[in-house]
Amino acid sequence: MIQAIVHVTVHVLDQDEALKFYTEKLGFEVGMDMTMDGGFRWLTVFAKAQPKLELVLAEPKEGPMFDKDSAEQIRRLVSNGAFGVGVFETDNCQKTYDELLEKGVEFTQPPTEQFYGIEALGKDNSGNWFSLTQQTT
Amino acid sequence: MIRHFQYKKICLGRDYLQEHFSDSFSLAEVAKYSCMSQYHFCRVFTNVFGESPNTFVTRLRIKKAKEMLITEKFSIGKICESVGYSSIGSFSSLFRKKVGMSPTQYRRELWGLSSEPLSFPMQSIPLCYAQNLFDLKDHGMKKRR
Repeated sequence: MIQAIVHVTVHVLDQDEALKFYTEKLGFEVGMDMTMDGGFRWLTVFAKAQPKLELVLAEPKEGPMFDKDSAEQIRRLVSNGAFGVGVFETDNCQKTYDELLEKGVEFTQPPTEQFYGIEALGKDNSGNWFSLTQQTT
Repeated sequence: MIRHFQYKKICLGRDYLQEHFSDSFSLAEVAKYSCMSQYHFCRVFTNVFGESPNTFVTRLRIKKAKEMLITEKFSIGKICESVGYSSIGSFSSLFRKKVGMSPTQYRRELWGLSSEPLSFPMQSIPLCYAQNLFDLKDHGMKKRR
């Protein structure tokens, strides 16, 4: 029986920049940051209240995992906002939105009442969108 | 769900523990960073983060020790001390309990897998991320029943 999700991949354009964004702006913590033999960097972050679910900040680049074309396609899709990280939960959407806005996080939609709660839409510094949601149910 | 201001308060204590996990500390002192009594701090901390402050610190210490065992040549005693334990015996048995092998064995196994000195072997990350980087037969997979 599958019991939990522990790693989710987020493609980012630059791991150093993404690390700064997720830790300094969103307040995530570094799970692992290790450079493996061969130079592959295994970089994960997680929300403080959910240490077992780590986002793997992976940089698509030419190498054993992607050929040049695939890497470029993914990078283009990421920067065009084709991918979403997911939904980040908060107990106060407006307050968190204000705090993140002050830190320079880009939002495409301010807190808005939806059927399921109050939701704002933001983007990370690679172009991945995320939802900031205060659930009402 | 915990309220916004309460979350911020509990994070202050957690941040302190994160920064000073290798020092000796008293939970009563740490609780002050969150403006709470020790009892309330432990209760809220566990409720919010899903683990007690002591479990949290142990996790950070073991994680740091694992990293140091791979990337440093320090003795086990030195690593034990660096992550905040004064007794090698307690550290080793705790490490064995959490990781499933002794610190020495962990170091030996991981160093044995790594192709470059003092670096993490690819075998230490999930296979789905590493499978294209080298032959699967080299991943050292063991069949489990």
